[in-house]
Amino acid sequence: MSVLGAKIRRPDGVAKVTGTARYTADLAPAGALVARLLYAGHPYARIRSIDVTRARALPGVFAVITQSDVPRVRHGLMVKDRTLFAEGVVRYEADVVAAVAAIDDEAAEAACAAIEVDYEPLEPIVDPEQALADPVRLVHPDWDDYATAPGLIRDGNACGFCDVVKGDADAALAAADVVVTSRYRTDMAHPVPIEPRAVVAEWHGDTVSIWSSTQVPYVARAGVAECLQMPERDVRVVVTHLGGGFGGKCDMHYEPHVAALARVAGRPVKLVFDRRQEFLAPDMRHHPLTLEFTTGLDRSGAMLARRARIVLDTGAYAGHGPLIAEIATMMAAGPYRIPNIRIEGHTVYTTTGPSGSVRGPSGPQTVWAAEQHVDECARRLGIDPLEFRLNNLVEPGDEGPTGQIFTSSVAVKECLTKVAEMIGPRDDLPEGEGVGFGVGWWYSFPMASAASVRLNFDGSATIVTGAQENGSGAVMGLTILGAEELGLDPSQVSLVYQDTDAAPFDHGSGGSQTTYNNGRAVVQSAIQVRERLLQLAADHLEASPEDLELHNGRVEVSGSPETGVDFATLATNARFAGEQLVGISSPPPAAMPDALACAGRLALASFQAPSFFAHAIRVRVDPETGVVRVLDAAAAHDYGRIINPLGAEGQVEGGVVHGIGIALLEGSQHDAVGRQMNPNLLGYKLQTSADVPDIKVAFVGTPAPDGSAHGMKGVGEPPAVPTPAAVGNAITAAVGVQVQHLPMTPERVWAAIDEARS
Amino acid sequence: MTTAIARTYVAPVTVDDVLAVLSEHPRRVVAGGTDLVVAARSGKAPLPTDLLAIHRVGGLDALAASAEGLRIGALVTHAALEASPEIRERYSALSDACALIGSHATRSFGTLGGNICNASPAAETPSPLIVLGAAAELRSSRGSREVPLGEIIVGPGRTILNGDELLTEVRVPRPPGRSGSAYVRLEYRRAMEIAVVGAAAFVALADDGTIASARVSLTAVGPRPLPVDAVAERLSGAVPDPDALAAAAELAVHAAQPIDDIRGSSAYRGAMVPVMTRRALERAVQRARSTQA
Repeated sequence: MSVLGAKIRRPDGVAKVTGTARYTADLAPAGALVARLLYAGHPYARIRSIDVTRARALPGVFAVITQSDVPRVRHGLMVKDRTLFAEGVVRYEADVVAAVAAIDDEAAEAACAAIEVDYEPLEPIVDPEQALADPVRLVHPDWDDYATAPGLIRDGNACGFCDVVKGDADAALAAADVVVTSRYRTDMAHPVPIEPRAVVAEWHGDTVSIWSSTQVPYVARAGVAECLQMPERDVRVVVTHLGGGFGGKCDMHYEPHVAALARVAGRPVKLVFDRRQEFLAPDMRHHPLTLEFTTGLDRSGAMLARRARIVLDTGAYAGHGPLIAEIATMMAAGPYRIPNIRIEGHTVYTTTGPSGSVRGPSGPQTVWAAEQHVDECARRLGIDPLEFRLNNLVEPGDEGPTGQIFTSSVAVKECLTKVAEMIGPRDDLPEGEGVGFGVGWWYSFPMASAASVRLNFDGSATIVTGAQENGSGAVMGLTILGAEELGLDPSQVSLVYQDTDAAPFDHGSGGSQTTYNNGRAVVQSAIQVRERLLQLAADHLEASPEDLELHNGRVEVSGSPETGVDFATLATNARFAGEQLVGISSPPPAAMPDALACAGRLALASFQAPSFFAHAIRVRVDPETGVVRVLDAAAAHDYGRIINPLGAEGQVEGGVVHGIGIALLEGSQHDAVGRQMNPNLLGYKLQTSADVPDIKVAFVGTPAPDGSAHGMKGVGEPPAVPTPAAVGNAITAAVGVQVQHLPMTPERVWAAIDEARS
Repeated sequence: MTTAIARTYVAPVTVDDVLAVLSEHPRRVVAGGTDLVVAARSGKAPLPTDLLAIHRVGGLDALAASAEGLRIGALVTHAALEASPEIRERYSALSDACALIGSHATRSFGTLGGNICNASPAAETPSPLIVLGAAAELRSSRGSREVPLGEIIVGPGRTILNGDELLTEVRVPRPPGRSGSAYVRLEYRRAMEIAVVGAAAFVALADDGTIASARVSLTAVGPRPLPVDAVAERLSGAVPDPDALAAAAELAVHAAQPIDDIRGSSAYRGAMVPVMTRRALERAVQRARSTQA
């Protein structure tokens, strides 16, 4: 009896909702000091001098460190363009200049205030288009000396160029019956996990233990080892309960700063961010984008060509930017049959807060723009937007934008048809209401992962994995996959994770990859244990292994379940015979689909086992104020085989709500020199539970032959992707105007209505 | 040398003790703490070094309704005001406002006295109290005085209270029959919101259904709540049909002094003033019509 598709309730839920769960900020090692970071304050300035003498002399201050106190190492995922502390120049308002460890908050604050930094303010570089064009004023004058990921194309402030080129877009546009051009821009949007990040570090001789609210403990460990020039074996990273991440806690962040402080101070040190720091300092937020789309159409409604140009303002440091630009170019093409394509993605430095990965990096924004453009194309042709999409969406056997042939479960038309049905009639709606659609696709991310499975002597099993929870529950769902192979109930399978010393490497909670990659390892490891169980049982029962099956903690003869032996007996007998039943594996993922040779492709020249999805949204717009209320949402997703429906539904519901926030309210405002003006939850408005509409969820599609174990695809990020698009198109359906700036705030909706009136 | 900050905190249990402390040394009074603590934690305003907590003072949380009107102790919470059927029925604008403030937690801890004395231009309760003709009692060890609500707040974070004075009670006269009031605000989401533009309206109808008197006050479009006399004057004696209300609401624009901030541009705020004013008037008229004479 299969447990795949069983609704498994996550075991940490009760502790979290009753307040007994302990997070990093709750840890209190004896003698722990308080860490505080000194930020630049200036958006862009040269540092003439730093004097920490006075700060170090203050009572209660144990450590004050700057770049001169740590190894001279440049780090960065795509471009090694930053140092732990500012070295000679600060490039955004929350660039870290120094760090302090002191006996309490007030002493730490006083020490930061006593650090004397002499700045020479420089003229900020805030406009990405100007930064792209400017060969002289460079955010990183030494850019050419930086080490980079292979394949990266750079030039001055342009720290990443990539494209998708297929056919001849220019010629096809020239020959098209109708050509539609649209321009959009988006504001920076933040991940806003409920838990601001925290780091605790404690040394034992030359080894350091770090407790961090990170989504990627092994990446954090590697970052500490790199930046502090020590072996990875001497760095242990532990993650307690994580209060959400949404991408914001990907990559190494402040672990090395806190470790360096603890070493100098000779005491454990704890850093806890407040909400303002969480907005200002980390380098993970949705990039501000400018996007231009041109599509050539024939009268019958076929898409002939698309040209697009996307500029990502990645801020002071490249971070994940160039990789995200790659994703954006794929989003700009969409899951449509378009024979001629030329899409460019430009990643550019400015002296503003750096952007990076947030759930579905670039997806909600780019698909919002692309799908509003698709609606505009349909309008220009006088074709219903649903029909226009169904005419042009891909089917199995079609070719993707970079030439991959879709062989997987490709149920995007089914998704769209399904949400159209779920959202109900679109005509005869009350005044001010409208329904809009958004469709899209996303990648599954093949990466190395490993896990072990061991059978305990009582017949229960334990998975040891390096996979990390980000709050989604994905790691806890791994027990389903182990239980499936072992014929156990998932409750009989325990899980060890959260400690880099305990388990093999994993890339961490990002890229929707946990179940996709670690699940594959769990399945393979469990199969190793199963094979041994079958062999041992065959000997025990004097039967052939082929005639046996695993069921409910026993190995039984197929067809006569009364003849069998329980796991406890087999495991205990094996132990006395000198063997433990342990499986460990790291099975490689399937190869990436073949792709055309496009420029600057780093990791995503094609999409492995892509997921497909469609959302439909019904809104009511108050035409006098521009206030938009989302009344209903319908979401249909093709993830191949769903392993844990309760988890998958939760991801879709959360993604819809996250997407509504991005659509309507979530955006940073910046002053003229590039400083955030609303780094708090009063000025940066999230959706509240009172704003959540009725959400209907459907899963369509069939197990994907190109997917991971059991034909699954990645689930975590896609649900956030199509919602802003559907909201935007619903607003247009309701009031007849398109809002071209995200978020579509009441004022922007009102201004668009007002402009159309006059 | 020490980096520690010398802080003092006193929490008397009688009004007289509070007034004695204040007469000795003026210090920041804290009731629910919903503004003070949030401002300190967000870095907007440091926690004052000397605090006088009044949450333990007996009697200040009394809410009494009589034929004369309401007497609301300074410590009465928004949640208590929101839950009162009497206020919902006869002092609807105040009920509307209290139901909109912050979150459940804010409404359960935040007090009416605190909402007034914090003097935020976006505070929800002052405009409703102004249109309802409320006054506040200010007490000190020197004596007490009653001041109309509209005169208490003079600018962002500034009131006319002297350093030794405590706002102890808000008094709201009972509205006449066939009257109604309402408070509406422009909000971007459905909870945890702060006013971008707010408007309170009070309308009393004459026996013939025309408007006997009207009052309007605006929120979040000036340094303090802004009563709009022009709207009231235009409506006096008018038939309250939609056109008349809309035309009168347009006059509110002239009273507003909207600013640009992260919540909205001055142009947008300005454009929303007549919309919110008209909606408040419409609701007040509707409620007046449904009231028994």
